[in-house]
Amino acid sequence: MSVAALDRQIKPIYDALDTNSNKSAIVACNKLLKKHPKNQLIKALKALALVRSQKVEESLILCDEVLDAKPTDDAVLSAMMHVLRGLGRHMPDKDMVTMFEEAYKQQPLNEELGAQTFFANVRAGLWKAAQQIATKMHRQFQEDRYLYWSVISAVLQANDVTTPPSMRAILYKLAHRLMTSSPTPSYQNTDRFHLHLSILRELELYDDAHKLLDSDVGKAICSTSLSCNEIRRDIWRLRGLILEEGKLAEARIVDQNDRNWLEFLSILDATFSYLNPSGNSAEASSTPENARLECIAHVARTQELFTRIAQEDGVKDRSAALGLLELEKRARTHKISTDSGRLVTLMQQYFDQIGEKACCFEDLKPYLADLQGEELLKWMSYLESIPSSFTTSKDLRRLINSHKSSRYTLSQSDLTVESETARVTLYLQQYFEGLKLGSNLPVTELQYADDLALLAANVLVNLWKLTSQEQYLLHAVTLLEFALKKSNQSFQSRLILIRLYRLLGAPSLALDHYRLMGIKQTADYLVRAFNGEKYSQIPEFVIFEDRLDSSLQRDIVKMEHLRMRLTHEPITSDIIDMELIELKFIFDRNHHDNRDFEIFANYQPRISDSINAQTSLFGRNESHGWLWSFLKLYIRAFQQGSDLDDTVEEKLLIGDRPKKTHDADKRPPLRERLIQQSEKDLAEVLNQPYLRRTSHRLNIYLQLTQDELLFVNFAGALAEWLEPYHDYTRPPPAVVLAEAAKQTELKTGHPLKGVDLAALNRASSPVKKDEEPPAVTEPPELVTKFFDCEQHRYLMDSVVFILIFSALKARFLEVQRNASPIEALHVATLGQEVRMKPLDLQGKSVDELKGFASLHC
Amino acid sequence: MSVLRPFKATDMFKFNNINLDIWTETYGIGFYLSYLSRWPDLCSVQEAPSGRMMGYVIGKAEGSSTEWHGHVTAITVAPEYRRLGLARKMMRLLELVSDEIYKGFFVDLYVRCANDLAINMYEGMGYSVYRRVREYYGSMGVGKGSRDEEDAFDMRKPLSRDLGRRSVRANGRDIIVSAHDVS
Repeated sequence: MSVAALDRQIKPIYDALDTNSNKSAIVACNKLLKKHPKNQLIKALKALALVRSQKVEESLILCDEVLDAKPTDDAVLSAMMHVLRGLGRHMPDKDMVTMFEEAYKQQPLNEELGAQTFFANVRAGLWKAAQQIATKMHRQFQEDRYLYWSVISAVLQANDVTTPPSMRAILYKLAHRLMTSSPTPSYQNTDRFHLHLSILRELELYDDAHKLLDSDVGKAICSTSLSCNEIRRDIWRLRGLILEEGKLAEARIVDQNDRNWLEFLSILDATFSYLNPSGNSAEASSTPENARLECIAHVARTQELFTRIAQEDGVKDRSAALGLLELEKRARTHKISTDSGRLVTLMQQYFDQIGEKACCFEDLKPYLADLQGEELLKWMSYLESIPSSFTTSKDLRRLINSHKSSRYTLSQSDLTVESETARVTLYLQQYFEGLKLGSNLPVTELQYADDLALLAANVLVNLWKLTSQEQYLLHAVTLLEFALKKSNQSFQSRLILIRLYRLLGAPSLALDHYRLMGIKQTADYLVRAFNGEKYSQIPEFVIFEDRLDSSLQRDIVKMEHLRMRLTHEPITSDIIDMELIELKFIFDRNHHDNRDFEIFANYQPRISDSINAQTSLFGRNESHGWLWSFLKLYIRAFQQGSDLDDTVEEKLLIGDRPKKTHDADKRPPLRERLIQQSEKDLAEVLNQPYLRRTSHRLNIYLQLTQDELLFVNFAGALAEWLEPYHDYTRPPPAVVLAEAAKQTELKTGHPLKGVDLAALNRASSPVKKDEEPPAVTEPPELVTKFFDCEQHRYLMDSVVFILIFSALKARFLEVQRNASPIEALHVATLGQEVRMKPLDLQGKSVDELKGFASLHC
Repeated sequence: MSVLRPFKATDMFKFNNINLDIWTETYGIGFYLSYLSRWPDLCSVQEAPSGRMMGYVIGKAEGSSTEWHGHVTAITVAPEYRRLGLARKMMRLLELVSDEIYKGFFVDLYVRCANDLAINMYEGMGYSVYRRVREYYGSMGVGKGSRDEEDAFDMRKPLSRDLGRRSVRANGRDIIVSAHDVS
């Protein structure tokens, strides 16, 4: 048959795959494979259809066949990319890389294959290999961009967690050497220039960088490229050219009307550079007194400049007006302020002008933070002069800003139940008044008065905290529900509302769900950035991917889901084995907390907790410590319930493994880390000096509730007690492997490679061993006394269950008396977990437990 | 006062206060990444000194011969930072880069015909309506079946390379095309 005819027959397979008709794709492949049993493309396509139909084992076999043939054909390679991804073999696993490397080796003049091999390494984060391939490609094809690929690969390798810090400088030097070998200058392309500068900065070659940037081309690039200008500013600072940078910034502000706050900061830094020892300014002053005088003179000049611009800009731009405030604040810090009343005067001026903008309070917050005594009184009396009646939305915003500002500086004595109640009444009255202003707004717009409802909600939450009376939360809920009727798009109201419902025990997963971001295809954009030579973005992409891959929030949700799953689904050995492997991966991760708690509309006084902290469930922020405790608990339980030990797992596991950081070898072994006491973890947290102040604050950082802590300790003791028996009954690794191979063969018709099936026959009974079983010991007190129920001493086989049920019942009845069901739900959840605790030691283990128990009694 | 700086991939972890707003089209992460991987210099953010995100713009360069231009794909400012001229600053940068780096003939953007506030603002910046695109926003407009909710104005501003100002016309509001005719 001709090639064209075969192509025609393969086309329907692609069509079937495109429409996700995997079954018909498999049928079509089988038909064609009869005539062309050796055709790699058909095999690859069949493997793809199989993996998409969840037939992983069958797909794997075909996949290995194709890989063994070392394909070079474009269509086969691209089909195989999808197959390998479907099998989860594309990340640190080297299959994809190996496949392309083999192909490239056979056709070293094929530029496209070279690029694909490079990208395969990029996707897998194998920067060293990527760098070598790019260098080879540059030699072969003489294209500049391959040289830059190799440069940035060296940089990425330097930044990688697997690279020891000592290698960093060496790799940057390599990048620098490659860069200077380029026949064309880097400034021909903004992103190449950016890369060049970032390398010079890292190597502290500031003079070289300065020379490049000070050229006409360099200046031109910086005038249009924010990212290059960012580095330029950095380098000027690092070189101590702070005064010069200040002058440049002034020119930009005055001549080009630039109002980027960064320019104002440059001027401020220059103004105080005389007093800053690290500022080693070129015109360093001879004596401290001279420095002081020079600084005072510069402050005067800056003040003049900012005042002039503030007058010119008016309400149009607030940068210069805020610049004046920042100038005064810094002058105070350096003790060269001459007018003690100036700060409050400036704040008043600012409020007069910008008070009608929604951001005014936030702008002033840094200056409100330290306001004390006389000044505070002066400021508060100014705020009282703000009229409380309003006829325009501008007046209303001004009033809201004054409320937010005065609430922020309240003292403890101002926060009584009476005064807070009075505030709620006032805010509410003004809120209803304010709604009238917005009665004609389209439904998609926010109401002008929304922030008054949010302020009132903040106060109500605070009243709840003060009195522990839930009625205040119910008031807040009613108010926010109403506010959302009036202003449907107020996400700020919605966020707080979700928190309040959670506190009241009304289940809402909305908040947890909305933040979930599950994507996995970042690597493709990385490849695109390489193709388009957008080097300035590449390191950020890598960081972004790492932060997604190691998301704390995702793994907390994973843990919570597992807890639900175990209490509601039958527990099989498959579940235990799979979950064990995944939990161990999670345990080794360096988690990033990507959650954004800053988003809450927090209008609580500076001396109290934020609304976020106040509305956390049980006053605790589920975070690293919580995840750590529960991971340890479940890994130990699963380890005892699983036949897999580390050697077996290594052989059976297909798919991604997490990257090992450069210090991974220095970590204590898993077993040691698992039995680290949770109290010790918490003690470490408690030792932070900033936490010692009040016990109230401590609670927020202690991430486990009292009930959870009891449960964690109980589970630890139970695991400690039962471990020797479980270790004894676990079949030898060879037997487990052989059994797995047998199962695979039954399923797919092919045995697992490299496994000795004979082990199965040698062991007459997989459980029996040569050694003696461990001696039976008394259960530790923590197990028998769990939940303080010493008096119940039942037969061993039921001891765990009955003890816990009776104890749990008592605790449950206790918390049930609370008005909010949320604590009762919490205890009930933990109770269910306890109930399945012995069960999750696997069916077999329960019998053993009984066996040991009856022996014991 | 706001910091104007490049849009970074990790900004996506903290732009919730902007993206929870109704007017802001929330795209998938892939969408932002694809812009950052191709036109990073046409994407920027405005940030408060506290680090809070105030707004962002993402744009691209596209078209052939005299249609080669910069395009504003999305520009948005969080509700609490509106009426501060932030959009204007971000637009100015996008125009500058479209002009000097990409050497485009014009910059264009799409806006709901019903969004008078925005249209006035863009006209104030030198944009004018080039054509009306029917059902650009689909028939899911937030208003009740009004044409102005679902139709878009394609607004353009000529750059220095367009000496003859050929990319704009006076009667743009009367030129009606269907959504299929625009890319």
